[in-house]
Amino acid sequence: MQAAAVTRLLRVLGFNALAVALGIGAALGIIAAVGGDVWTALTSFLFLPLSDPYNIAEIFVRFIPLYTIGLGIGLALKAGLWNVGGEGQFLIGAVLAIAGAIYIQGLPPPLHLTVMLLLGALGGLLWIIPPAVLRARFGANEIVVTLLLNIVAIQFTLFALDGPIRGKASAGYMITDVLPEELRLPVLIPGTRLSIALIITLAIAVVMYLLVEKTPFGVHAKTVGESWETARYAGISIPKIIMTTMLVAGALGGLAGALHVTGVLHRFDAGQTSHGFGYLAIIVAMLGRKNMAGIGLAALFFAYIIIGAENMSRIIRIPFPIVYAMEGVMLAGVTLADYFLARRMG
Amino acid sequence: MVLEAILTATFWVGSIALAIKLLPLILFTSMGELIAEKSGVLNLGVEGLMLMGAFTAFMTAFITGNPWLGVLASILVCMGLGLVFTFLTVSLGVNQVVVGLGFWLLGLGLSDILFRAFVKGLRIVGIPTVNTIKEVYIPVLSDLPVVGPIIFRQNPIVYLSILSVPLTAYFLNRTHIGLRIRAVGENPKAADTMGINVNRMRYIAALIGAAAAGISGAYFSVAYLATFQFGYTAGRGFVALAMIYFGNWNPYKTFLPIFLFNFVDALQIGIISVDPLLSRRYYFFNMLPYLFVVALIPYFGRRARAPRFLAIPYKK
Repeated sequence: MQAAAVTRLLRVLGFNALAVALGIGAALGIIAAVGGDVWTALTSFLFLPLSDPYNIAEIFVRFIPLYTIGLGIGLALKAGLWNVGGEGQFLIGAVLAIAGAIYIQGLPPPLHLTVMLLLGALGGLLWIIPPAVLRARFGANEIVVTLLLNIVAIQFTLFALDGPIRGKASAGYMITDVLPEELRLPVLIPGTRLSIALIITLAIAVVMYLLVEKTPFGVHAKTVGESWETARYAGISIPKIIMTTMLVAGALGGLAGALHVTGVLHRFDAGQTSHGFGYLAIIVAMLGRKNMAGIGLAALFFAYIIIGAENMSRIIRIPFPIVYAMEGVMLAGVTLADYFLARRMG
Repeated sequence: MVLEAILTATFWVGSIALAIKLLPLILFTSMGELIAEKSGVLNLGVEGLMLMGAFTAFMTAFITGNPWLGVLASILVCMGLGLVFTFLTVSLGVNQVVVGLGFWLLGLGLSDILFRAFVKGLRIVGIPTVNTIKEVYIPVLSDLPVVGPIIFRQNPIVYLSILSVPLTAYFLNRTHIGLRIRAVGENPKAADTMGINVNRMRYIAALIGAAAAGISGAYFSVAYLATFQFGYTAGRGFVALAMIYFGNWNPYKTFLPIFLFNFVDALQIGIISVDPLLSRRYYFFNMLPYLFVVALIPYFGRRARAPRFLAIPYKK
């Protein structure tokens, strides 16, 4: 049994490593084709993320949004639902958190900060209501609507940065003012950008784990995900499960945005409309096999890859879109690995 | 002052004409994907395909000087990408949602890197442009008031895109192959029992979808604008998918929301250009067509009924 479990684990790791290698290989191929330095690209990709404490902390800085969004997507996947809208929920969450800092006055700072985080979660929750209601009440496909709302969220974010949340000191750029010291999440490790958002995320992960594994709700969600017929037979309200899992997913997406802006960025700008956490969180949730702990490992793994890719693009001065191309190939590669694994293990 | 400019016939005629001019950007992709989705294949990567197509068309037109060759090259490249997508999702049965997103990111990144490399390699200074496919002025008719600029002074690709709507409907409802494509999307098992090769139908439908996305992509770079920019399709591939959903997988009903989206888009472009003061609120106006789509969701979304086996691979 033990040996079987180990082989199984090795196989999972092996196949996924292959998928990632495919992505890196494709990126290196592109770099070679456009005349970049392949060797430097590879070494900066693989080793720079671990080269000093700051870079290691940066891995965790990316891990936080990936895991927070991924937990929600994973929960929805349990119930057989696709929240492809993590990206939009993240943006709305970040915008509302900043708006909370600007437009709410007179609260004591710890409470004010809490309100900002809750506003972020509320934003993500509101953003998923249309697809959730359509799915629960009318059975309409949620994939396209959640995806569409990402595009709308980008436009909305640009509008907000251009007006309502634009900084006084923005000097013509689409950027907010820096959050005052007391409205930032306290730093966890001095000298890095890692804040107590990590603790919040891990606490949420524990709650989500208990929710999925130890409560009737978790069982019900899984049943709905496996077979509506069984769920109906067991007297489970399918619309209720759809609404709850989707709303939790949306709220976590929004919270991730609020955590990122209060814990890491401390300000928001138009560049954030293309960070891609919401899309990567989908592979993270898939790769973690909808298991709340597994999603954590997958998030950590992809956080490493993001940092590697960012370092690579900076060091060899290949434009940042190489990261998108690489992520795209990995996305396809990881699902392919998943497919081969499913076939091997029946 | 703005109101005065807006409350003129010229403004409205201009807006409608622009809305029609914008049609191919979304319409081809929508019609092609409608066919693909009818067979049960959902390609979320069309946005990436469009960008790759736009770059390919740009490059081809730049080298050969012939924008039509650009369109052709774009179709071929998109079909190539579509073939890989179809192999993964139909032959292997890998998850369509994730692979689709992967193709989008790949197209988004790769098109920009290749474009920059191309510009750098040729040592082009400034924004490189190509010959575009020009509007045709239909003699006599194009001089008519109102209908002249709206209908008779458009790009040939615009006419083709409008033609694609009845063609798609005819193809799906009246041809042998179209009926089989619908059958494998609704009930692949029954179709298989009747001797229809499910996966072959899905390949055909998905490749039509990819080719159509190629035309939309090419229209960006060799007709509507004369150049390429990173991510300048601005989510229109995703909008195209949403429009199919709003149109409840009916080509004619899909046309209407696309036209409305373009009309709102054209109005906001028009309003900004009327008053330089308003152009400072560029991002507010730019958001309007997308908000408009959201407003459509409760009305159209309720009735939408997807092909039963959309995004579900078929295994014997």
